[in-house]
Amino acid sequence: MATLRDLPRAGRHVLSAVSHLKSCPAGLQRCASSDAAVAASTSNATTAPVIPDIELDSGLASPILTRDDIHIADPRKRASRRNYELPHERYRYHPPKYYRGPLHPVQPPPASDPVARNFAPGPFNFPRLKQTFHSTIASDIMTMMYQHTPPGTPDKPERIRLREWDETSPYMSNRPKRGPRGHDVLFPLERSIDWRNVPEIRAVHINMYMPKAKKNADHLIVGRAVLQSITGVRPVVTTSKTSVAQWGVIKGDRTGVKCTVRGHQAYEFVDKVINLVFPKIKEWKGIQGSTGDSTGNIGWGFEPQDMLHFPEVEANYSLYPAKMIPGCRIVLETTAKSDRHARILCEALGIPFFGKLVD
Amino acid sequence: MSAFHTTPADHAKGGKSKKKRKGKGDEPDPRIINLKSSMPRAVPAPLRFARNRALRHWTIHRAWLLFQRKEREREAHELERMYQSMHNAAEELRQTSGPGTREEGFLYRVAMEKKGVYGHNAVPIEYARPQTETPAREPWNHGWTR
Repeated sequence: MATLRDLPRAGRHVLSAVSHLKSCPAGLQRCASSDAAVAASTSNATTAPVIPDIELDSGLASPILTRDDIHIADPRKRASRRNYELPHERYRYHPPKYYRGPLHPVQPPPASDPVARNFAPGPFNFPRLKQTFHSTIASDIMTMMYQHTPPGTPDKPERIRLREWDETSPYMSNRPKRGPRGHDVLFPLERSIDWRNVPEIRAVHINMYMPKAKKNADHLIVGRAVLQSITGVRPVVTTSKTSVAQWGVIKGDRTGVKCTVRGHQAYEFVDKVINLVFPKIKEWKGIQGSTGDSTGNIGWGFEPQDMLHFPEVEANYSLYPAKMIPGCRIVLETTAKSDRHARILCEALGIPFFGKLVD
Repeated sequence: MSAFHTTPADHAKGGKSKKKRKGKGDEPDPRIINLKSSMPRAVPAPLRFARNRALRHWTIHRAWLLFQRKEREREAHELERMYQSMHNAAEELRQTSGPGTREEGFLYRVAMEKKGVYGHNAVPIEYARPQTETPAREPWNHGWTR
């Protein structure tokens, strides 16, 4: 209270409005009645003490604030200037890391969903090889391969490829039929090409084998970088299946890199190979006619020196250690069911063959 | 991939290696460090859209699927139409008697001949010209020799 008394008069008034409990000496208290009594006595004899007004202008004169007068900074700006982070929402969806099968309750979102792990923003161009294929090559292959069957021709009975058991012993009754001799699987049947099954490119599989990576793992790094740059797909490191004593490779060593390209990227890759890489290879005769796995997949290989003709490798050749760039093996997977149909597709796309053609 | 590099810088350059510096061991090739660090393992964070943007994306995606489907069906119909007209033409040929004194179906047999379809040069190499917006003035240089 002593400190209060030392304050100037105006400040004391402010405090007194808040705290009515504080004690005040009776002589200092101003009441309306005492003022009136003082005024009465002033008129008579003594002069009244001069008490200046605390607030000179009335509160009613101050301007009235409306909602428009309040200026709030741009919320975006405020958010960007904010140097602390606001908390997230309570729940954020994360797609599952692994696909756990069709029956698991947790399923990954479709690839078109931007949250999905395998989401790739949409096709930004249409590969010219695909454009060419759909506008000309497909109809040309169909026309070239057209085989007329007069209406009313009876269907050929399908060739029976599974062997029957002769019912000589009870062991053979009701047993499933046997597979073909020499193979344990049935290869797909070749269908004549009509408007429903014109062969086209389905995927390109690329594989690099680097036995030197056993000694020096940097070969794997270079192989991965080269493969990713020429395909645009993240490659996977493979392990060797068999041991090779001469190269010091043991089964299970990380000695290779592979990747698969599908869809538009596959067309782009094949286009690149046909128009940029094949023409630059020295003394190149074409692809061996005996290639293929007899189910419509055509394969070939590139030597290490041929890999330099890929535009991505050629452009920043100095990025790679020259001696460590490996060659690769490429398998072109087509929807054709036989090698000869796949070969027709390849020839129409511009891949020549040499040597004896084997189906 | 291990962090241990065994390729010395001057060995990996490919040219004739200079004299090996002694002591301290070989530092790894900087190019290999570059390649390795440019293929990070970390998967980028998922792309999150708020409601309106997600709905917009979904609508556009469905429209794109519909467009693709229509294109596919249009191409299939076109191929089928061509196949049907080839069938009609071959049927017509089969029932006509050929030029001059040829017997009936001569032209049909000639048309259905499939000589060399599965052999070399079934499709000539000149055929493989991908369509471009800027085709060359001279499509094929026939006078080219090595």
